[in-house]
Amino acid sequence: MKKDSLIYTVTFSFIITFVFVFILAVAYEGTAERVKRHQKISETRAYLSASGIKLNPNEDPQVKFSEIFGGDFKDKEVLTAKINNENIFLSRISGKGLWGTISGVIAVNSSIDKIIGIEITSHSETPGLGGRIEESWFLNQFRDEKVPNNISIIMGTGRGDTVSDNGLVDGITGATRTSESVENIINKKLLQLRNLKRRGEI
Amino acid sequence: MNTAKNLAKENIWNNNPVFVQILGICSTLAVTNNLTNTFIMTVSVTFVTAFSNLSVSILKNYIPRKVRMIMQTLIIAFFVIIVDIMLRAYLPDISKSLGPYVGLIITNCIIMGRAEAFAQSNSPLISFWDGITSGIGYMWVLMIIAFFRELLGFGTLFGIKILSSEFTPWTIMVMAPSAFFILGILIWIVKTNMMRQDEKNEIPAKQTN
Repeated sequence: MKKDSLIYTVTFSFIITFVFVFILAVAYEGTAERVKRHQKISETRAYLSASGIKLNPNEDPQVKFSEIFGGDFKDKEVLTAKINNENIFLSRISGKGLWGTISGVIAVNSSIDKIIGIEITSHSETPGLGGRIEESWFLNQFRDEKVPNNISIIMGTGRGDTVSDNGLVDGITGATRTSESVENIINKKLLQLRNLKRRGEI
Repeated sequence: MNTAKNLAKENIWNNNPVFVQILGICSTLAVTNNLTNTFIMTVSVTFVTAFSNLSVSILKNYIPRKVRMIMQTLIIAFFVIIVDIMLRAYLPDISKSLGPYVGLIITNCIIMGRAEAFAQSNSPLISFWDGITSGIGYMWVLMIIAFFRELLGFGTLFGIKILSSEFTPWTIMVMAPSAFFILGILIWIVKTNMMRQDEKNEIPAKQTN
């Protein structure tokens, strides 16, 4: 068969593509379990960290998590626990970012006027810009932040907002849309939790 | 054996992909703010370059000219995804901190450049060697940049605290512009050296004429 003929080109391309993609599929399937396990662990770590729980290096995050919360998000949307003599609510947050879904977790106190902490578990924002929402300087601004009404993400001084009783945190330069998304996601969750509480469901 | 040695010298020094050919600059800027990430990234690039070179060279006589580039891209993408899968499964922390840059290895010009310029017209083994040495040429330049950026930006090396806590980290070193500065300075130093060497070599050559 001539090497430049259409049939050869098509057949050759098909076979090569098939072989390579087949190997990829096998490699993907073979490691899928492992990847899922890692993801589960890192999510659990995020839940613990949002709740303000320090984890010793030799502790299994999943064991610790079920010890404290006595369940997981499979059964309930809002988990409760008593940490440092304070009742807290832990709930997953998720919503539309600039490029895709931003998912994370939020912990609030029992009267839902203080955020204990937030963590971002997955997002597809622009690396280096919106992607910085997962960095600790951004997330730490929410630590013990009092929110009598709503959280507002504002333009700050560039050093991060360290005042924790005004419900204000600094947004990210060059990532206004992502900052707004995070603000909306959190406020929506606060509203939902407050409604649940008013109806006596949590 | 001699060609292998010359090839290594060519790829690592005389014709270094980063500071002579100025290829792969995007990742040079992006991943060099800490040594661990840089090391994993450059090892991945070396792996991909070596094996895509090998595959292209093995298949070169069967690939129709018309779809040559597409096949090379396919092969490169294949190895990059393999690297991505392996990092995800076995080094999840590094995979997370490298983020999208692993996938972007596909667009690293060094790999496509070597496949097209070398593997397409050479035998498999020497192509494999060419891939490895090109990768090393890329690696050492990035490691030097990362060394300065991590040391001055965080005061650490491979995550281990080196400078005392009184040292004020240079925030600029963590950000992309610093890679431009350091790469620029590095190119300047190396090129000056190379030119000096050329001059030295030229003078005796002229005298014999």
